[in-house]
Amino acid sequence: MGASGGPKIVRAIWSSQTNRGYIASMVEPSAAGRSFDDEALPHLDALYRVALRLTADPTLAEDLVQDTMLKAYRSWRQYRPGTNAKGWLLTILRNTFINDYRRRKHEPVAMDLDLVEPHAIDRSPQETDPEGSFFSQIVDAKVLEAIDALPPDFREVLVLSDVEGMRYAEIAETLKIPVGTVKSRLFRARHQLQADLYAHAVEMGYIRPREART
Amino acid sequence: MSQVDCRKAMAKLDEYLKQELTPDLAAEVRRHLEHCRPCFSHARFEENFLAMMETCGRKETCPEKLRAKILAALKSEARRD
Repeated sequence: MGASGGPKIVRAIWSSQTNRGYIASMVEPSAAGRSFDDEALPHLDALYRVALRLTADPTLAEDLVQDTMLKAYRSWRQYRPGTNAKGWLLTILRNTFINDYRRRKHEPVAMDLDLVEPHAIDRSPQETDPEGSFFSQIVDAKVLEAIDALPPDFREVLVLSDVEGMRYAEIAETLKIPVGTVKSRLFRARHQLQADLYAHAVEMGYIRPREART
Repeated sequence: MSQVDCRKAMAKLDEYLKQELTPDLAAEVRRHLEHCRPCFSHARFEENFLAMMETCGRKETCPEKLRAKILAALKSEARRD
């Protein structure tokens, strides 16, 4: 893989697909001439996925994406061409969700998660399966279920970062929170998800827990 | 140039895996991972986690029916302008 032929740590995943359109639009010299369709439509898949994670309901997610696109179209003049279209659209999606959808859904009242002590971090996944090979055995539906079970503030940072491949700064801008908060939420979200999936993997017999080895 | 030690490698791991580091720093982190078994394992762990998130998370795409509905709605918005 890498020039050194060393460990296969670098995978060309982050520069692929999702970010391509966005990066291309950033370097587009005549960005001012780009239409709403050119800038916004390539992000429909990402908008739909994020909407699914926020609403946990396919019907609501569809409504949310459509509302978002119409709002974005109407405020298209406020968009600065060549800037982060995906982040701009996701900000609209998120504001729409908070203002119009959250109360339609029975989301538990959010605590100030940044003040909550992180979960007692369970080190056993890495002690039992140091390289995390069990992750590849977990079925998609279970992964999505576990993501959906995370507290909403953790969930959205995790999805934007690890599914949609957005950078810390882009997420901070989209969610209007400091970069440090993005990092700490992401860290906790990952640990919680990893611990949940590890417990599931043990339960399903994909891996044997530490006790079984001693 | 300062050597990348375990602490620095782990602090930079996320950006390394997302390929957001400068080539020089990325090379230094890679060199550290090649020689440090615990950090290498940890990097593999996170990499496998991220690969799972990406493959599973991105399988869902906007349904064609929704796409068509949105295009139609946008068209009728445009006519109104």
